[in-house]
Amino acid sequence: MVEKIGVYVCECGPNIADNVDIDKVMETISSLPGVEVVERHKLLCSQNGKKFLKESIQEHGLTRIVVAACSPKQHEVTFMKVCEEAGINPYLFQLTNIREQCAWIITDKELATERAIRYIRAALRRVPFHRDLAKKEIETNPDVLVIGGGIAGMEASLLLAGGDRKIYLIEKTDVLGGKVKELDKLLPRMESSLNIISQKIQEVEQSEDIKVYTKSEVEEVLGFLGNFVVKVKIGENKELELRVGAIVVATGFSMFDLKQLPRYGYGQYDNVYTALEFEKMNIDGKILLKDGKPPKSIGIIHCVGREERGYCSGVCCMYCLKFANYIKSKLPDADVSEFYQELSIPGKAHQKFYEDTKAKGVNFIRYDEVEVMDKGIKYKTESGEEKTSSVDMVVLAPAIEPSGDTGKLAEMLRVSQGDGGFFQEEHPKLAPVSTSMEGIFIAGCTQGPKNIPESIVQAQAVAGRILSSLIPGKKLELEVKTSEISEALCIGCQTCLEVCTYGAIYFDEMKRVSVVNEVLCRGCGNCVGSCPSGAASVKHFTTTQLHQEVVEALR
Amino acid sequence: MDNGNILVIGAGVAGINASLSLADSGRKVYLVEQTSYIGGTVIKFEKVFSNMECATCMVAPKQQELLAKENIELFTISEVLKVEGSLGNFVVKVKKKARYVDLKACIGCSACFEPCPVSVKNEFEEGLSERKAIYIPCPGALPNIPAIDTENCVRFNGKDCKLCKEACMFEAIDFEQKDEEIELKVGAIVVATGFSSFDPKEIPKYGYKKFSDVYSALEFERMFASNGPTTGEIKLRNGESPKSVAIVHCVGREEKGYCSAICCMNSLKFVHYLKEKLPDVKISEFCSDLCIPGKSYEKFYEQTKTMGVDIIRFEDIEIKEEGKGISVKYKTDTKGSSLPVDMVILSTAIEPKKDASKLAKILGISQDEHGFFAEKHSEIASVDTSTEGIFIVGCAQDPKDIQNSVAQSEAAVGKILSRGT
Amino acid sequence: MKGAILKVTENVANPIINFLEKGLDKKCFDAVLIPVKVPVGNSFAWVLIQNKSLLEDANPLPPVMPVQGAKALSSITRMGKTNKKIAAIMRPCEVRAAVELSKLEQVNLENIFLISIDCPGVLPLKDYLERPEEAMDKFNEILLGACPERSRRAQNDIEWGNESTRPACQVCDKFVGTDLGFCQSDLHIGILGTKDKNIFLIPNNEKGKSILNKMDIEAEKSMDNWEKKAKELMEVRKKKKKEVQERLKFKVMGIDNLLDVFSNCINCHNCRSACPICYCRQCYFESEKMKLPSDDYLMRAKSKGALRFLPDTLLFHLGRMTHMSLSCVGCGACEDACPMSIDVAQIFSFVADNSQGLFNYIPGKNAEEPLSLRIYKEDEFHEVET
Repeated sequence: MVEKIGVYVCECGPNIADNVDIDKVMETISSLPGVEVVERHKLLCSQNGKKFLKESIQEHGLTRIVVAACSPKQHEVTFMKVCEEAGINPYLFQLTNIREQCAWIITDKELATERAIRYIRAALRRVPFHRDLAKKEIETNPDVLVIGGGIAGMEASLLLAGGDRKIYLIEKTDVLGGKVKELDKLLPRMESSLNIISQKIQEVEQSEDIKVYTKSEVEEVLGFLGNFVVKVKIGENKELELRVGAIVVATGFSMFDLKQLPRYGYGQYDNVYTALEFEKMNIDGKILLKDGKPPKSIGIIHCVGREERGYCSGVCCMYCLKFANYIKSKLPDADVSEFYQELSIPGKAHQKFYEDTKAKGVNFIRYDEVEVMDKGIKYKTESGEEKTSSVDMVVLAPAIEPSGDTGKLAEMLRVSQGDGGFFQEEHPKLAPVSTSMEGIFIAGCTQGPKNIPESIVQAQAVAGRILSSLIPGKKLELEVKTSEISEALCIGCQTCLEVCTYGAIYFDEMKRVSVVNEVLCRGCGNCVGSCPSGAASVKHFTTTQLHQEVVEALR
Repeated sequence: MDNGNILVIGAGVAGINASLSLADSGRKVYLVEQTSYIGGTVIKFEKVFSNMECATCMVAPKQQELLAKENIELFTISEVLKVEGSLGNFVVKVKKKARYVDLKACIGCSACFEPCPVSVKNEFEEGLSERKAIYIPCPGALPNIPAIDTENCVRFNGKDCKLCKEACMFEAIDFEQKDEEIELKVGAIVVATGFSSFDPKEIPKYGYKKFSDVYSALEFERMFASNGPTTGEIKLRNGESPKSVAIVHCVGREEKGYCSAICCMNSLKFVHYLKEKLPDVKISEFCSDLCIPGKSYEKFYEQTKTMGVDIIRFEDIEIKEEGKGISVKYKTDTKGSSLPVDMVILSTAIEPKKDASKLAKILGISQDEHGFFAEKHSEIASVDTSTEGIFIVGCAQDPKDIQNSVAQSEAAVGKILSRGT
Repeated sequence: MKGAILKVTENVANPIINFLEKGLDKKCFDAVLIPVKVPVGNSFAWVLIQNKSLLEDANPLPPVMPVQGAKALSSITRMGKTNKKIAAIMRPCEVRAAVELSKLEQVNLENIFLISIDCPGVLPLKDYLERPEEAMDKFNEILLGACPERSRRAQNDIEWGNESTRPACQVCDKFVGTDLGFCQSDLHIGILGTKDKNIFLIPNNEKGKSILNKMDIEAEKSMDNWEKKAKELMEVRKKKKKEVQERLKFKVMGIDNLLDVFSNCINCHNCRSACPICYCRQCYFESEKMKLPSDDYLMRAKSKGALRFLPDTLLFHLGRMTHMSLSCVGCGACEDACPMSIDVAQIFSFVADNSQGLFNYIPGKNAEEPLSLRIYKEDEFHEVET
């Protein structure tokens, strides 16, 4: 079929008209093959202009539209809507930019006119190769799987549970509460941690919408946003299959293994404790040495494992200050020294806590190197002096690292791990709780080391993402300009599987070809760029379309 | 039935993000912004740490999505006057100031700027360049529609000037527009008003505004910005490139009484800025404690160190005159010294927005000792306030980076949608 | 380097055939992929042999390469691994191509034993087919040049890679199937450097060792003689290659020279069909995308004054070059296939050597080494930055 193409040149007031000879453009273009009608308008994006465009499309029974106007960034959507209203598929239209890329940058009018003609010709050459593209929708399941029953997992579950969706909360251990349950008091107000966490646990357990599975682990995850199928292992030998629309990973963190660093004397000397062991001691009520006596002097060492892990865990400075407060309230006469490197106490409330702690007579010693000895701490200052401080108890603040099964889970979920081995967020600034896999979210220390309020905020943020996007009864609109892989041309090398960030390509073992999952594909074009045999292409940006356009532009 | 509409105050990155998510869920959102543009402080940055992504390019898609969203009503140059009612039933009075430019008719061609006879310091550019009385703050600002600043426009000061109107081909300029008061009914309110930067003039020892080449962090940001007053060239006031630069951390920390969380990383980012444009420039970072928490930041610090920068830990610091130039006089824990430099950049503290207390009164929410809006519970309810249905996000609550601001904005969305207000 | 020694009875082929027969007997492998002389005519074809008696007609080292072995192996295994074990007897360039194709999933090596043989080069297909008997004699002479003691003539003037082999073979410096030749077969058969009537079996890896073990062949003999001869010859080749490429450089430098070089091309794309590496199901240059309306050609004719047909000849070669040169093994199949006798293999190898050098990559050297364009390094190619 021969296409009937309409070309519409926008004057954009004086913006284009002053610098491009539109009469000449129209004259040249109207003689080109396929061109049914060429029109000009003072301002096509105005109400008037849009009405004119719509009526002209209908009047001439056009099958392809070229608008020569401004940047697609500005008005592509505007004109696509007009096409839709005129009853023509919006993807059969092309906006070519003769303002920003022509009238505004070329001062010689003749040259600008020639360039505008060239752009329009290129678009004219491209549009016959455009295809009808249709919006697609899929049904979604609003239920959510939350992995990890710590404070973040529980907070997310509670916010998500609103009566219209079911929440499955999977916890590896036999109790809810996570690491917060192992703390004595919370910063900076020194409230009892147990009170707060118990209340959350109670709320979760009482919620009718939240089903908790303890001693459970995720075994397999298939599917995609709105339609995940998850296999969960419960206890030793029970298995469960869940169908959910979204997955929240809130698997928390592990503490850096101190046995890796013998210089801290952990496991070697008596009375060297990790932060969590010290919390336990405080929960139990008494700070005591192995021999049952209260310590007279305690050294608290910050940044244990920071160098090895390659990042600052962000929370240790503050909880080390909290430890000094634990000690000062229980053993007012004990000598407390904080051995630190860089004091990281960001935020409005923390400096005051630091100053109050200091005022209680706590020593602050900046070290460059540190070593724990029997009943003492040897350290080197920044200026290189070597000193020793005798203490009878040492508390170590080990770095926060991703929990042990992060790697396994990452692979199962097809989400990559970023800096430090933590789950990689979709975007470090604008999308911190989503991942490159649509429908899979991360919250709390599984995304990176952070304190309790930040973890809770992330959990609430995940709830925000899910509640605003996965709405019960609402269908999911899919990306139109997805990638496609030609079965005839694919050589089955699977390079595309490696470069697809969205896990949107799978390999058909029978046919030995790669196949695109249109639900997950976002049309980024990574596969197209990496395909060695030209089998992959993105709809609306096919090689043929681009080739035709370029050939004509360069003629 | 309770009202599902939401008021968002502040169209920075947190406010935009919250509005978009709420609109996605089907809510009607009213977004009230004080200035004539959207994007907040982030769009003043050329790049963001630690991936050094172009900031405006990062935010632009969000801005465009916001402007195109049907169920978001944006009020620029507007402020909240009065709030009454409670969760689910707030009645809000908004003053929508006249822009004097018709948003629908104007196409942003900028033909009206040139003829304007007025020239005043551009506050968006931290006063480093001038603008007209009809203006957009910087190239690329959105919405790309100018506004008339009636304080400086000669027409609004008694003269019969209509040069801009005559230059407009689209009849978009309308001197007859009037300020309006609008009443909105909403179920919940998100406060995302951002922060102000500490004014280093308050501490004379930094020599800010005394020595011409002592800059605040935001001034330096604009100097480096490709859409800024020098189109990205780093120049001294005399037009030459600096050969040595000192970056001073923690400016105002002691006075404010808290660590602003982002300045260390921001100061390290400046090393990248400087080395990109002036590979041979000598850079000294004067810091106290390095606050670079999180999985990616130390990597950035290590990378920055390899670019050639002296990191000096100071206990006391002062910017002094030395000959014709300036020098940094400082004391470390072991010695005192002095370093002559061509340029000084002051990493200023984040402080509550200047008019935070006024807004706090209007909203009926409290402020903490520093003047930030007070959260309901610092550990477990940091986006809630003492008033149910009013949420605080971003730097309006506490100094924080973009990631945490965005997370909080989503958290407020989570809270709002969860309780179904 | 350690290996085993096999006695030569009549000719070099015999002990190899015997070895393969024994391998089938001992169930080391279930089939053998090997060149066999076609029943009518003089050419050779790849044959997958399961019946041991048919191995008699096989020639592990035929004088010509009508089909590159990797292409044969690809046809067998492209849809996945074979269920039975196959021994493929190939020249080193064929092994390298097979390994390269395995990275693109075009060959599955899981149940394949790659057995390589020292390659004396092959004769140009055209020369051979014109006078097969004469050519065969010539080839046997070359072959015997490997072991001077057995040659009927004075040997010094007969070196491997002499002028009667294909130009690509004359400058090939990867003609052995061990690390020495940047080749990764499982088992290599050496025929160079034998003093008496021996050939060598050199296992390159555990897979190769396992075959020898199953056949009770001990591989503990020193391979120093073979290695010495191989290295000597390699030095000669490298020198020659350098000289040839030095000359070639001036012939192909710049677009005008290239146009001259390819001016005889008739656009038959035989080079592409013969190339083992050209893996595309459909060549871009044969696709719809290259079919342009007549106006386009008229337009081009107008701007240049005249336009040659078939069109885009040089573009095809340049396109193919950019597409496959990082994986080009320099086997010379393209040149053999060219009806117009264009030095296509020499030009492609020359470009390939340079482009592969940029990535420090040798195709087919190691199956584990990823394709250069499939990995991302943050810090490289600063010269292309603006």
